[in-house]
Order: sequence, then C-alpha cells, then structure tokens
Amino acid sequence: MKKQYLFLLLVAGLLTFFSACNNEAHYKALIVTGQNNHNWQASNPILKQLLDQTGLFTTDIIITPVKGGNMTTFDPKFSKYDLVVLDYNGDTWTEKTKTAFLKFVRNGGGVVVYHAADNSFPEWEEYNKIIGLGGWGNRNEKSGPYVYYRGNDIVRDDTSKGIGGTHGARSEFMIKTRNFEHPITKGLPANWLHGNDELYSLLRGPAENMEILATAFSATRGPGQTPGNTSGQANRRRNGRDEPILMTITYGKGRIFHTVLGHADEGGGPAMECVGFIVTFQRGAEWAASGKVTQEIPFDFPSAAGAVFRPDFKEITLEDAMANIGSYDIAKSTKNFTFLRNYIRKISGDEQALLNLEKRMVTVLISNEATVDAKKLLLRELSWIGSDYSVPAIKDLVSNAELKDEAEFALVRLQPIK
Amino acid sequence: MSNKSSRREFVKRSVAAVAGVIVLPQIIPSTALGMGGKLPPSDRIVFGLIGTGSQGMSDLRDFYRLDNQVQFVALCDVDANRLAKAKEEVDTANKSKGCRTYGDYRELLEKETLDAMLIAIPDHWHGIIYSSVVNKKINVYGEKPICRTIKDGQTIVSAVRKNGIVWQTGSWQRSQTHFHRACEFVRNGRVGKITKIDAGLPDGGRGIGTPPVQEVPAELNWEMWLGPALKVPFRGVSHWDWRWILDYSGGQLTDWSGHHIDIANWGADLENTGPVEISGVGVYPAEGIYDAPFEYDFICKYANGIEMRVANASRLPLGMGTTWYGDLGWIHVDRGNKLTASDPKLLEGEIGENEIHLYKSENHYQNFIDCVRSGKETIAPVQAGYRAISVGLLGEIAMTTGQTIKWDPDKEEIIGNPRASRLLSRPYRQPWTLPTV
Repeated sequence: MKKQYLFLLLVAGLLTFFSACNNEAHYKALIVTGQNNHNWQASNPILKQLLDQTGLFTTDIIITPVKGGNMTTFDPKFSKYDLVVLDYNGDTWTEKTKTAFLKFVRNGGGVVVYHAADNSFPEWEEYNKIIGLGGWGNRNEKSGPYVYYRGNDIVRDDTSKGIGGTHGARSEFMIKTRNFEHPITKGLPANWLHGNDELYSLLRGPAENMEILATAFSATRGPGQTPGNTSGQANRRRNGRDEPILMTITYGKGRIFHTVLGHADEGGGPAMECVGFIVTFQRGAEWAASGKVTQEIPFDFPSAAGAVFRPDFKEITLEDAMANIGSYDIAKSTKNFTFLRNYIRKISGDEQALLNLEKRMVTVLISNEATVDAKKLLLRELSWIGSDYSVPAIKDLVSNAELKDEAEFALVRLQPIK
Repeated sequence: MSNKSSRREFVKRSVAAVAGVIVLPQIIPSTALGMGGKLPPSDRIVFGLIGTGSQGMSDLRDFYRLDNQVQFVALCDVDANRLAKAKEEVDTANKSKGCRTYGDYRELLEKETLDAMLIAIPDHWHGIIYSSVVNKKINVYGEKPICRTIKDGQTIVSAVRKNGIVWQTGSWQRSQTHFHRACEFVRNGRVGKITKIDAGLPDGGRGIGTPPVQEVPAELNWEMWLGPALKVPFRGVSHWDWRWILDYSGGQLTDWSGHHIDIANWGADLENTGPVEISGVGVYPAEGIYDAPFEYDFICKYANGIEMRVANASRLPLGMGTTWYGDLGWIHVDRGNKLTASDPKLLEGEIGENEIHLYKSENHYQNFIDCVRSGKETIAPVQAGYRAISVGLLGEIAMTTGQTIKWDPDKEEIIGNPRASRLLSRPYRQPWTLPTV
C-alpha cells in the first residue's frame, strides 16, 4: 500500500515537473533583420510574437546596420541560440559573421528562412545550400536547378536556362500539402487556402538535402515567361507548375525550415495574419530548433473552403469562444461555433468535461441576451452531446416560435436510447 | 422465391398501368399506341421522375438512349422553371405534349400509375421519398447515396424488401467493364488475401462564406425543398450546392461513398456486412455556411481483419479510386478506364470457368429495365447501396464525435456509445415523418 502511494506521489511529481517544463521556454531564438526589400519593421515584432506565444521560445531580435552601413558591427553570437530566423535581404555580412553562422548551422543550429530571406546573398555559395532554393539577385542556371512538382512527381530541371525567382500579382492561393508524415506538416489538411500573398515561383538553387513539404500552383510556365494569374481553373489547365512553398533542408547537423510565405504589410496584413502562415511558421521553427513538433494543429487552421485570419495573431480559446458565442451572427463569422464543434470532438470521450461544457452552453441558451442564431446552433450541438441536464431548458423553448423546430429536434434525440 | 413473387406483382402492376392509361385516353401519345415505336407499347416501361436537376435529367436521357424502351409520363420538382424545362425536353422525346408535371411528389403518387420511378433529389429527402415510392410498389432507380442517415437507410431497405420491388442504385460504375473486371480479379484472389483497401474520394471544393439572406426565387418552393430539414433562410444555396451542408448531405464523402466504397465492397465481398470499428479525422471549414468535412481520413476495421481507409484522394498514394492490397500485391481501379496493379501479371488472363463470376451488366440503365421486366435483382441492389453509404455515414459519426466507433454490422447498432448512437438518425421537422414500412 505504502509503496503504491509513494509511486503515485512520484508520478504526480514528475507530471508537475514536465508540465512546468512545458510552460517554460525551451529554446532561444534570434531574429536577424534590419535590411530587406520588404517591410522588416512590420514583420520582425510579429515574428517574435509568434515564436514567443508558442511558449517554446524566448526570442531576441538583432537589427543590422542600415544598407551601406558598417557591417563589422553586426556580429551576433549565433552559438548562444537554438534557432536563427532570417528576415534579412541586404548587404553582405563580414567573413567573420558568415563563418560564425555557418559554424552555428553545421553544429546543429536551427534556421528559419522567411519569405525574402531567400532573395539574399546570391553569390554566397554556402548560404544558398542552406536556403536550398533562392530567387532574384541575378540568379539563373548557374545557381542550380528549378525544383517543382508536376502532378505527383518532383521535377528537378538542371538543363533549362532562365531566371531564378519571380511572382505574379498578390493573390489568395491554394496550398497543397505534399508530405503528411513530416512533423511540421503531419495532421495538416491536404489543401488549404492562404491569404493574399506573393506566390514565389521559378526559384533556383543547389536544392541539396531538401524536402518539399507543400506546394502551390503557379501559372508561371517557365523561364523567361511573364507570370500569369496564379489561381483559377482556366490557368490550372495550362502548363503551370506546383511550386515549393514549404521546404526543409539539412546542412551539416543543422535543420532549416524555409517558408516563402508571409509578405508583410503595415501591421502584418493578410499574408502574415493567415493562420496557415502562422502555424506552419511556428511548427517549422520548433522543428528547426529541436527536430520535433509538440504543438497541436489549432482548430482554426484553414481548409480548401477558405483562408482563416487572426488579425491579432492570437489563437482563439474556449473562454473567447464561450464569451462571444451568445452574440453569434452567422452573417459575420462562424468561427466561434467551428471552435466549439472542434472542442467537443476533442473532449467528447470525457464525461465530466462534456458536462461542464453542456452547463456553459445551457447558460447561454437560457440567457435573454443570446441571439436566436446562437441558440439554434447550441440546440443542434446539445441534441447529441446533451444529458438530462439540458432537457428542462430545451423543453421551455418549444413554446418559442423561433426556436420550436430546433428544440423539438434536440428533444427527439435526447430521448433515452434503448 | 422473392423473385417469383415480385414477378407476379410486376405483371399485376403492368396490367394496372395499362388499364390506367386506357381510362385517360387524352394523354396517350401516338407512339405509345405502337404507331412508330419499335416495341409494342405494353412493353415500354412507364416512368416518373422526381428531381429534374442535372443528375435526374442526365439519367433520364440515358434511359431514352435505350432505343424506345421507356416513356416518362410524370415529372416532379420543387423548382417550377426546371420542371417546365424538363417537360419540354420529355415532350419532345415523347413526340407528345402529354407529360404531366407536379410540384409535390405526394400528388404525383396519388394520381399516377407507374412501372418505375427515377429519383434524383437531395439526400435529406431520400428517407421519406424513396420509402413512399417503394410503398406504392413502384420500381425505383434511385440516385446514390441511398440515405442521409443509417436510420433512413434501414427504412428504405425494409421497404424495398417488404414490397418486393426492383431497385437499382445509381452506382453505375458496377456496369463498367473495367470496374467489373477489377472486382472479379480481386474476388478470385489475384492480390491474395486482402489486408487493406484504400478508397480515394474527391477533395472538397471552395467555400462561399455566408452569403446574405435573399428573397426566394418565385419558381422555387423553398419550404418543400427543405422538407424534413430544419428551416433556414434562403441564402442562394439550393440546387447542387446542398451537398456542402450537413443538414442535407455529408459532403464529397457521402456523395462518393456510392461509387468507390461500393466498388471496394463489391471486390472484397463486403456488400452484405459493415465494419466493426471506425475512427478518423475530418477537416471542417472554419468559416461560412458550408459545414460538411472538406477532407476526411478514416479507417474501418472489418471482422475478417481487412482495414479500409477512406480519404480524400490527395492523401492516398494512388489517389482517386479503389485499391485492394493483399499479400500478392495490389489492384487499383478508377474512372477513365484506369485499371492497374503492382505487377501487370495480376491483370493477365481471363477468369476461369470454375472461378467466381460476378453479376455482369453492360449498361446500368438497360440492366434496370431488364430487371423491371424480369423481376430479377439488379446489379446495384438496395442492400449493397445501403452498405456502401453506411461506411461513409459511420465515418462521418466517427469524425463528428472524435471517437472510435464500435459497430455491430449484423444488428446495425453502435455499441456502447449512446451519444454517437443519436447520430444514426436526424429528427425530421414537423409535420414530416419517415413512412412506416
């Protein structure tokens, strides 16, 4: 008896220890920024917020001298970090800094290559091995092959001449997950719409030790051709390519996650606010830092049905959803109910959690403030998760002309089942 | 036995049908009196159609392509424009203006005497309309999936059995040579003992968010379109796009269960049973009125050890279609005459005389007509159609609840999960009820 008790105490202690670890930042991250043909002032605080909110990172930001400035002052201590996020497209680093960076990666440091960071350093051979594929900066056939998908096959085109890197007008585009086993993309939908962004295409590079995790169709047909509209069925039938969007590369012992997504506007904009960008960035960062991904796919991850945005960059919580559900207006947003449905799926094997939720739902159901739309949807969910607890409140609604049908629907289902 | 009795009933009904025509002479087209038709009129199958949308009219045209063997005399739709257009087309085909139209299937059933009914309507109406038509002892060509819920399906199957009518499900892949061939190869052990099956169905399309409430078009009887489903304001979603909303359909998953899952069952001899355990995940749109899963990936375990994975095609190694895996290799079949195998040798040679031969039909529509004449079972009987869609519906329940569902395929009950059991039916809005059988 006593031994068992001690064992339980030990288990409880270990659990407390591990859960405390979970809330603590495991990894140190450094965002490198300061020069970019993009709005780096807008992007870098958002990238820091996204890393920190995972609870896995403490993040520093280092800002380089301005373009044409004295780069000898840019001398980060890469080795202090587990992860370096590159939000930089600008002047060449000093040899000392380059060497330190390469050493960091070779020794197992993690790197995230974010959007235009793959434009940087076209002449630096080792950097191009780290990013795998790059664009612009006079990149061409000397930079390496074009790598893309045609149908379900990867094409590695070493022979075609032509530019490296282009994009069409900004648009919403569909991203296709290509690897369902990799920790970063495991559990993602096969197809998901991404908010208005630049769809990089015709990237070239050494593409060594590179794996493509996701692609998007670009109507850009080949070297030297004008990029067309990047979406739409008419173009799909033409001779376009499924271009790499998310990639992983290994360099020495280092792990690199390369995302071409996330073009920054003032305050972020649709490309950065898109949940698809946010979540793949966060998962990619954890994988690059550690080789694994412990984060769950959030309920608001987009699907082929539509892109989903987080204007405040925060994930919706049960508290948010329940606080807002009573004012539900289908014409505005259904996301709180989508959250509720997904939350129910997650806890539906747990009687106590389900009863707690049911009580909260009934509180909204009987409140005078809640909208008719909200009550109708609550009744549909209660119809299958509800217990005897819900029945009296639902019976009261049968006399309400607006809710009669839904209340009867729920009561039929809530009858005890033989 | 049952074939004999249904044959007798058929003959009786045919006599009644002819008698019915005779007392209404004003509507007999000249062709029906044998003045130009290749078949005597008594041999032509007198049809009604409920649902004059794209699928219903496409089926109707296929029946008319059968060289003067059918005559549609009654059409029904809740959309007056579609109904008028369909009548025009049917009258032209009949060379007569006599085809009657109805906005309410109940009136059609009351007034018409028919040999057969073609039905192509949204899934949420299947339980009521299929059972009502079958209870009138009318033979049915019914579009897949047979039902929106397991309970609807059980009612329809019972109704077909009790009334002894001829039923054909619109699972037309069964009548295509390469699908038939694939299933025969698999039945005869070409892949060895089957260990797993992949059924790849289409990915979801795009969402539309939540369109504003609109005035119901004058031609559309929205109340009747909704029928037993919960009342919602009209937002421009009715014809075709109903399939993305759970009140009416289960999305591509249930739409296509009657094709590639049906073929999977046929090849693996699972047509008269169901899985014992189902688990998996769905991807649901985060925003908008479309709430059916746009992606799905679930595993069904069968008592004989087979595991069937049902997923949107993008997730599967061989994409769309059905793949049977066994200890000797795999065979994959899909539309567009696609029949491939891990080793081409698996597909060589013919099925021997003493091997298993599956029911052969060259034309899905002709097969129905032949069976209406003979009283024999069709190539896509009601039980097989019900077992095909029940895989999709059980997958939907597993994804909705997020739980592993245990299913008794003989009793057709969920075991030990009262909440999931509630999802085996959808209560109907009053005054609609499932017909008693």
